[in-house]
Amino acid sequence: MLEIKNLHVKLAEEDKQIIKGLDLTLHAGEVAAIMGPNGSGKSTLSYVLAGRPGYEVTEGSITFRDRDLLAMETDERAAAGVFLAFQYPIEIPGVATMQFLKVALNSQRKARGEAEMTTPDFMRLVREKAAKLNVTTDMLKRPVNVGFSGGEKKRAEILQMSVLEPSLCVLDETDSGLDIDALRLVAEGVNALRSPERAMLVITHYQRLLDYIVPDKVHVMSDGRIVKSGGKELALELEKDGYAAYAA
Amino acid sequence: MTVTLMKTPAETAYADAFRPQGALAEQRKSAFAQFAETGLPHRRMEDWKWTDLRQMISKALPPAHGTNADARIIDGLIAATPFGDVARARLVFVDGAYDEARSTMPASGDVEFVTLGSDKLPGWLSDSFAAASTDPIAALNMAYMSDGAALRFAKGANIDAPIELLFVTTGTKAATYTTRNVIVLEDGASATLIETHIGGEAEYVHNSVTQLHVGENARLDRVKVQEEGLEGIHLSNTDVHLAGKAHLQDFTLTIGGRATRQQGFITFEGEHTESHVSGAFLLTGKQHNDTRLVIDHAVPNCLSRELFKCVMDQSARGIFQGKAIVRRDAQKTDGNQSSNALLLSDDAEFDAKPELEIYADDVVCGHGATSGDLDENHLFYLGTRGIPETEAKSMLIAAFAGEAFDSVASEAIRDVLTGLAKGWLARRQGA
Repeated sequence: MLEIKNLHVKLAEEDKQIIKGLDLTLHAGEVAAIMGPNGSGKSTLSYVLAGRPGYEVTEGSITFRDRDLLAMETDERAAAGVFLAFQYPIEIPGVATMQFLKVALNSQRKARGEAEMTTPDFMRLVREKAAKLNVTTDMLKRPVNVGFSGGEKKRAEILQMSVLEPSLCVLDETDSGLDIDALRLVAEGVNALRSPERAMLVITHYQRLLDYIVPDKVHVMSDGRIVKSGGKELALELEKDGYAAYAA
Repeated sequence: MTVTLMKTPAETAYADAFRPQGALAEQRKSAFAQFAETGLPHRRMEDWKWTDLRQMISKALPPAHGTNADARIIDGLIAATPFGDVARARLVFVDGAYDEARSTMPASGDVEFVTLGSDKLPGWLSDSFAAASTDPIAALNMAYMSDGAALRFAKGANIDAPIELLFVTTGTKAATYTTRNVIVLEDGASATLIETHIGGEAEYVHNSVTQLHVGENARLDRVKVQEEGLEGIHLSNTDVHLAGKAHLQDFTLTIGGRATRQQGFITFEGEHTESHVSGAFLLTGKQHNDTRLVIDHAVPNCLSRELFKCVMDQSARGIFQGKAIVRRDAQKTDGNQSSNALLLSDDAEFDAKPELEIYADDVVCGHGATSGDLDENHLFYLGTRGIPETEAKSMLIAAFAGEAFDSVASEAIRDVLTGLAKGWLARRQGA
């Protein structure tokens, strides 16, 4: 599903190389964790996958479902099935969450040549998914992420993910700022989306999240590269020994 | 040294046409004399430094009223009001004259309506003409005002159904049209008033004054939408007097006009009174909008809020001048004003001039002005959800301006405003 080859990325403004020859393959149905110390380039990888301005790919390629991902605009990537759950979801004053989600879903459907969803169908869909994630009607009426607590923001991200039904879910430090109950709720939401057609890239600093979202593979990232790959037991090893062995 | 400026062709035209007659002749004479002291305001006058009318009104646009325009043109412009389904009564003025046949009177017997163009004005009305301000444009309005609506809401009357004052300028003649409205809410009355300005393509000036007298415990919800023609110059003065425990909720949306200068003078005359004045500008091309507000806290225990959201695209220019005066006795004043500008192009410009003049010591007053372009993080976030950039920009612009719409109590009117903003954005996307 996703094939990253020899990826090199630098910050456009600072001329600072962050990703330095990263290779990664992710198959449909697979959940892969990316772990690594702060500054190893994990978040940068998530931004490059989503197409954030300010990052320049100087070498390498990313192929997503046989398409050149790097040639696509951010919204085209979303319509093709890429979803990024933000570490710090952005607050957008004045745009009601419900309206935002509807425009997002219908923009994607339109881009894929599908019919737009009617308002009653959409309301039904969102209410049903929101209930499972304990996202209240009040939250849906409020502007996107504005005044949401840390846990509410993360739940809202997962709600968006479950409504938009992407084929590649990139979860950037989804556990940060969550207490154990919130973490369990979010993880349940993510696990409900696991399917043979869908792949997930779970970026995390701590092993804790992986108790709840159990990965098929674990990749260790350090200094802009994948330096070790293994099964889920690798996460436990890292928890015990720390990242010292992989320091740049 | 006193510099005497040469009269411009426009000033000459105003002087040549001046032949005051009728019951208001004396008031008109003194008003014109006041105008003549300065002539058209120009950039050497501090309050007008961004809006030089001597230059903007470059040719003679002689005073006129009444129209020879084709009925289809008039009907087309009237049909363009966005409040077609919302207003329950509509008083229509075409090229500065009341058009009875095209108007619908308010149904309630608690509303008294007189046109200012009529020969006999009731006593309550002529008393309320006291000079709105020392402003030269308001004085010029008094000298030449040809018509307008005088509405009096009886004591305790609750008129929920919106009444629209619709000013249509056909643009069939290069002229200056001068109208005035006098709105009186007696004690305990409440009303919703819409003022709409729609204009055709030619160069013209519309000089509009609205005087509002809001009685004790009375509440006025007022919404003004300005869609003058793109060669039109809109000059307006709104003069508000608020009695004790009165409540004013005022909103202005400016979309039209080549140049707009709108001034609001709000005076608190009784305690425990609230004034909420907000607005949005959606400007493009070379449009110019200079909004100036003067809030006079003359008595204690009053609250004032001003919020202006200004969107400027291409080479448009927006100006917000907000002044709050807190007199020595006006303790416990709670005043706050803010203006936020969204600049969508490198050539767009915004100037803000907040002023506080505070003579009392136990008050809470603040002001803030911000100016910036669209937030890259917002655009990226919307993009990651599949929303294309042009659509994302429109959403963010609508959200920015829409914050000011929230102050409008009527949902039906808010929907109209949202629709107008959407129309503006659709034209922008199409451009």
